[in-house]
Amino acid sequence: MKNYFKFITSFALICVISVGCNQTDLDLTVSPNDLAADAADPNLLLNAVQIAYAGNQVSLSDLSADMTRIDYFFGRDYFNNLPGNTLDGVWRRTYSSDFTVVGDSDVGSGVSVGILTNLQALEALNETGGREFHVGVAKTLYAHSLMQLVDFIGEAAFSQAGQSAEFAAPTLDGGEEVYNAAFALLDEAESLLSGTPSTVGVQDIYYGGDASKWLKLINTIRLRAYVLTNNTSAFDAIISSGPESYISSSADDFQLSYGTSELQPDNRHPDYASDYTPSGANIYQSNWLMELMYQNDDPRRRYYFYRQESATPGGVDVNGDPVDPNEEELSCSFATPPAHYEGYIFCSASAGYWGRSHGNDEGTPPDGFRRTVSGVYPAGGLYDDNSFGVVGLGLGGGGAGIEPIILSSYVDFWQGIMASDKSAFLQSGLEKSFAKVQSFGALDADVDPDFVPTADDVTDYITGVVDSYNAASGDDAENIFAEQYFTTLFGGATEAYNYYRLTGFPTTVSPSWEPDPGPFPRSLLIPQAEVINNPSITQKSDLRTQVFWDTNPASPAFPPAN
Amino acid sequence: MFFCVVGMTMAQRTISGVVLDTGGESLIGANVLAKGSTLGTVTDIDGSFSLSVPEGVNTIVVSYTGYETQEVDITGQSSINVTMSEGQLLDEIVVTGLGIKKEKKALGYAVSSVDGGQLEQRAESDVARILSGKAAGVQVTAGAGTSGSATNVTIRGLSSFSGSNQALFIVDGVPFSNDTNTDGNFVSGGTQGSRFLDLDPNNIENIEILKGLSAATLYGTQGRNGVILITTKAGAAAVGPKKTEITVSQSYFVNEIASMPDYQNSFGNGFDQSFGWFFSNWGPSFEEGGTAGWGAQSSIDENGTLLHPYANSAFLNPDGPSTGTSELAQEFAGQRYDWKPYDSVNEFFRKGKTSNTSVNIAGSNDSGNTVYNANFSYLSDEGFTPGNDLNRFNISIGGKSKLSNKFSITGTMNYARTDYTTPPIASSRGNGTDGLSIYGNVFFTPRSVDLMGLPFEDPVTKGSIYYRNGNDIINPRWTAKNVVYNQLTNRFNWNAGIGYDINDNLDVSFRSGLDFYNERNVNSSNKGGVEFTDAVFGFLETYDNNNAIWDHLATINGNYELTDDLGLTFTTGATVRSDQFDRSGVRSTSQIVYGVNQHFNYENQTPIQFSTQRNILGVFGQASFDYKDFLYMNISARKDWVSNFSSENNSITYPGVSLSFLPTSIFEGLKSEKGLNFLKVRASYGTSANFDTQNAYPTVGVVEQNTQVFTDPSGSLVTTNQIDNFKANPDLKPELLKELEFGIEATFFKYRGFFDFTVFNRTTNNLIVSQTLPPSTGFSFTQNNVGEIQNKGIEASLSFDLVKTKNFTWNSGVNFFTNKETVTQLDEDFIAYAGSLAVGGGLFRGSNAAIEGESLGTIVGTQIERDANGNFVVNSAGSYVTAEQDADGNVPIIGDAVPDYVMNFLNTISYKGLSLGFQINHTKGGDILSSTVAALLGRGLITETEDRLATYILPGVQADGTENNVQINNSTYFFNNLLFGPTELRIYDASVIRLQEVSLAYSLPTRFLDKTPFGSLSVSLQGFNLWYDAYNTPDGANFDPNIQGVGVGNGRGFDFLNGASSRRYGVSIKTSF
Repeated sequence: MKNYFKFITSFALICVISVGCNQTDLDLTVSPNDLAADAADPNLLLNAVQIAYAGNQVSLSDLSADMTRIDYFFGRDYFNNLPGNTLDGVWRRTYSSDFTVVGDSDVGSGVSVGILTNLQALEALNETGGREFHVGVAKTLYAHSLMQLVDFIGEAAFSQAGQSAEFAAPTLDGGEEVYNAAFALLDEAESLLSGTPSTVGVQDIYYGGDASKWLKLINTIRLRAYVLTNNTSAFDAIISSGPESYISSSADDFQLSYGTSELQPDNRHPDYASDYTPSGANIYQSNWLMELMYQNDDPRRRYYFYRQESATPGGVDVNGDPVDPNEEELSCSFATPPAHYEGYIFCSASAGYWGRSHGNDEGTPPDGFRRTVSGVYPAGGLYDDNSFGVVGLGLGGGGAGIEPIILSSYVDFWQGIMASDKSAFLQSGLEKSFAKVQSFGALDADVDPDFVPTADDVTDYITGVVDSYNAASGDDAENIFAEQYFTTLFGGATEAYNYYRLTGFPTTVSPSWEPDPGPFPRSLLIPQAEVINNPSITQKSDLRTQVFWDTNPASPAFPPAN
Repeated sequence: MFFCVVGMTMAQRTISGVVLDTGGESLIGANVLAKGSTLGTVTDIDGSFSLSVPEGVNTIVVSYTGYETQEVDITGQSSINVTMSEGQLLDEIVVTGLGIKKEKKALGYAVSSVDGGQLEQRAESDVARILSGKAAGVQVTAGAGTSGSATNVTIRGLSSFSGSNQALFIVDGVPFSNDTNTDGNFVSGGTQGSRFLDLDPNNIENIEILKGLSAATLYGTQGRNGVILITTKAGAAAVGPKKTEITVSQSYFVNEIASMPDYQNSFGNGFDQSFGWFFSNWGPSFEEGGTAGWGAQSSIDENGTLLHPYANSAFLNPDGPSTGTSELAQEFAGQRYDWKPYDSVNEFFRKGKTSNTSVNIAGSNDSGNTVYNANFSYLSDEGFTPGNDLNRFNISIGGKSKLSNKFSITGTMNYARTDYTTPPIASSRGNGTDGLSIYGNVFFTPRSVDLMGLPFEDPVTKGSIYYRNGNDIINPRWTAKNVVYNQLTNRFNWNAGIGYDINDNLDVSFRSGLDFYNERNVNSSNKGGVEFTDAVFGFLETYDNNNAIWDHLATINGNYELTDDLGLTFTTGATVRSDQFDRSGVRSTSQIVYGVNQHFNYENQTPIQFSTQRNILGVFGQASFDYKDFLYMNISARKDWVSNFSSENNSITYPGVSLSFLPTSIFEGLKSEKGLNFLKVRASYGTSANFDTQNAYPTVGVVEQNTQVFTDPSGSLVTTNQIDNFKANPDLKPELLKELEFGIEATFFKYRGFFDFTVFNRTTNNLIVSQTLPPSTGFSFTQNNVGEIQNKGIEASLSFDLVKTKNFTWNSGVNFFTNKETVTQLDEDFIAYAGSLAVGGGLFRGSNAAIEGESLGTIVGTQIERDANGNFVVNSAGSYVTAEQDADGNVPIIGDAVPDYVMNFLNTISYKGLSLGFQINHTKGGDILSSTVAALLGRGLITETEDRLATYILPGVQADGTENNVQINNSTYFFNNLLFGPTELRIYDASVIRLQEVSLAYSLPTRFLDKTPFGSLSVSLQGFNLWYDAYNTPDGANFDPNIQGVGVGNGRGFDFLNGASSRRYGVSIKTSF
């Protein structure tokens, strides 16, 4: 029995050790690796909303520009190259969260941010008041995002969104209902922001905590919607309440400011991060826009684009002399342009503007030190002073550009759209655009002044455009206006896709490389991430579905240029 | 070394003799022992022995595997002939759950055994990979071809799609972590090893594989995927006197790449038969003339040379060809470069050398009441991939002692130091690589690019340089030199047990074990690379993974004869298991001075920290009844409590029962010497539970916090708080697994043949699913109990001694496994549980999905659009239209990764001391999404793309329904469609025949060793994976489908250019003294 006792003793001893070591604790349900659900800081939640919104704007602006030839679009077939996951990130960031890196976009290196769930958390924190600013700002950004989802997809989740306990598979609401819901959100945001809310501790990356600017933005988002829904009276009502009630000067421009830090965080303009690398550029600029600006001799071209070469194989160089084709660096320079491309730049734009035409799907040749790259506006890169150097890390403005979201110049163009005589707004829009763009020249310190436009050059250009607009009529006039609008939207082009579907102008955009690329997308597929997981939703089988404000003829009759 | 043989000083006499079988053939290697002493010998090649026995010893004990042990009286004799009769092989004792030893015939479930002889002296250092094919139903998949890379081990297929399906490893009775601690997903890259790498195969005495739930019930939830019970030599030491024996083995192997594609040598770099420094190989031919000849190329001169890429590169020469001012540019200014095929890929890889030294010492004290074993080994394994090697040092010491006061104690201690270094490996789908990676870019090096002849680093900056004009691809040789992933593991694994015999019928025991390891990860890249931020600026991360598994077990064991015919044994007990994981370290970015990989030499630092703990408490009981030696029944039950579920749902009880019936023991007429010798019929029902959750804390929601996210316009850093997109589920319940199993075992033809057949049907209820949610709900992921899987299968094995004579034996065996894993019920339409969608990626990359009524191995992706009649739809450019949904609007199913069957053919042929063994594996069917094959075709690299000057018309119809007649060229066909078209086009049949293992061994007859200190000496030649053929994939790709493209886990049927297959061969010498 003595031995038995020894055994029991040692057993008991070891049991005590294990209990002491927490090895028998059965309540280990809380993760030590994150904050508890009730420990969120409202200021930091608002940061997540603002960053998520920024991520969406970058994606939507690029997508819109690609389709409308402001940027280059890869692929000969619209349907195959706009698959269902195109807007997965935007959708997730609106409702749930998704990885976003505002600057560089290496796979997996981002952080997770979203809008709706954080807005809901902020509303809960505001039950006793004090967080009106946070909720107001988040509602504004959510409202704009909902409208944008409708613009791109045609419908969106609203009435059943973000209520997982009740609606495990939310149904989508029609575009018009979502717009109405977004208007209501803007009304709520307006009243929250009108009462001089507290901004203690707020780190507002857009307006520095200035509620009055957010109120202007709310009105400007309304203006944008009234343009699309052709609600002239509502539009005019806001305009008539005075320029201080909406974004009318560059001081109120709604934009995201980038910096020059390469790592932790990489806060450079994403186009800069792509183009200014040790191994050259990664973006192809749109041949159509570059050639248009070159032919117009638009002084903004030196701010938008930086040429690494003075000549493009198969085109004409800066002096207007023809250049031999080169199979190795620009294989299409040897090709005979197909019939449907007559009158457009098929392959080689002039004067070293080395880009690609709409739909070109060739493999990527080693041309990273040949292509025309993002310039000083808005990417914060190099100013093009005919130096024809090569890109590299940190050159020019170091990436400290902006993401234009809604600029005062855009609002002037919207007024033009809504007006019968557009010329005054064309002029003021261009003046604002030039002022904004030229202010970026200072980012690149080392520039040959001979190649910087003078005030006269600018005035001459604007006057010339307005004169030719006034001299033209019908589609020609519309095309001039539209070309200038698209040129102005460079870098922050979310509205270009809307305008193109709303009006069909400019009809002068270059066609796709493929004679039959399929009908121009009137709306995109519902995000794959939603469709795959949501039994209430059925995917569309093509891209012909028109959003509610698009009352134009069905594709392919419209838009005329496809 | 000298050994005192006990009794040497006593008076002795010598007895000699011959040991024969009933047929009069001599038995080689039979053990002959003087009873009651430690003196013994073995018979030589003629069956002869000679033994000095002490005076007073009148009995010798003769034993031989497979024969009944005999005690022979030698009183007054000096020479004796012993005839051995064959014993019942099935009387073998096997270790079952919790170390309980049982006669195999009493078991009502399937157990497979692999003895140490099949494991030691192998070229492969990973014990799991050696197990491949040795037992039916055990599936082993390699993570990559690098030495030390992770390995996936599953038994009887998958039963869960979110929980782990990895088999449980038990070493000497204590759980042994087989974790694979990756810190990224397959897209960004996973290079970490699996922790059973720390086991030295040479130290293994034997392995038992418990496949079914009934067998593994006592292991509780951890045993649900089958149990691999490893007994080390230290743990196996049996009490009893023996002489001290030292065994030394030394092997040398060559390790080389087995999956070298068969590249074509007709066309070079470019597109559309035009030269260019592209990624692709659709350029002109290496002939001057002809439509595709280089003679038509302006950049190739009449001598067939080009301007050297480094003279031409805009990166080195920004102002035009040969204008660069750097040292490198000046060196190559104006130089020409031959337009010809280069053997780049072949030369990139090397022949690795593997050396393994192992020393084992076993012995006992005089009385034999204390036995011990010590094992030391050192492995040096150099991979065929530059920058990859593995070094491992093991010490294992153990023993047992039976104390006089009814106590017995056992203990083993293993220490392993594993140092594993590899270049980075990330996925690629044939378009660069998704993260820093060594393989992707190497395999699709264009034929005219001289990878090994071009300098890979700038002599001044040490930056990466490569053939492309813009230097926009990182040179794989730069990666191999400058990017290092190292994992140094120090692992300590011990167990100690104490037992006490209360009386003859009852004993109690307590055992405690700890498996602890520290993985020190040091991953770094110098600055100066291109393409990837980590390589451009350089990074260094150092972090430790500390993992501890504590396991305590207390049992009471009883053994009673209830009546003359009915016996009872029982075990009841309680167990505590605690898993504790803690990761901690620092990550730095932006290297300041090239080449110094210390944190002080980097600009930015961020912390790395992550920890989890989970405790499981269990109580269990088991009772076994045996009736008259022909009927055995075992009943068991276990209840577990787990710490990371809410208290309402944190426990589960699961029972099991098994029966074994021996008709040959009751119906004597069934049995005959030359016919059926033995027959057993068994049936079992087992249950188990799964608490595994991919999110360690799934029931409570959190807020993510991230710092350094962005900056505001003033430059201040922005921190975010984000409501987690994982939806917490407080109602999460454990999975319940149930399995019904029937089997037959038979021995026949004088014990020459053995047959084992098992059929099982396993269902998993309340599946814990890591589920993607519609983002519009506010969440993207959750874990939920939403369905049922049924897994039915058959395991069969047959072995037969084709020849069995004195000098010549030939044993031939085959094992076979087939199963069907079907999702029988699912509350959701579709759950992507592995692959791209599961990590937030796109459909086109391919994913495994659970869909009701479909196989669990289902692969989904984009498919070719079909019209209403099922014809493929081709767009006006002549390429297939990509569809994201099938005709019914569902996500397209494009493949099933589960093979039709897996079969192994194993042979051992012995002639005198010579023995030849070989193992052939045949995996039939199963699909794989192969980026390797797609990239090699799509980039125009392998022989299949040689005939390329014709045009192609894809079979199908145009949108208007007319037959497609649009001609496309080679690159549109291979590049746009096969490589970058619908995912469906990258699916291949993964059937493969493989010569898994060949060995030729020779044991020197003992008579040659009489005058030497050696007790035995054997030499063997071995080869692994010497040949394989994935016969339904393009021959030129030489593709090996044994690759786990999405890393260790539940994803199957993917290859993302992240592996290469390894072939090993060499020689091994083993001696004892």
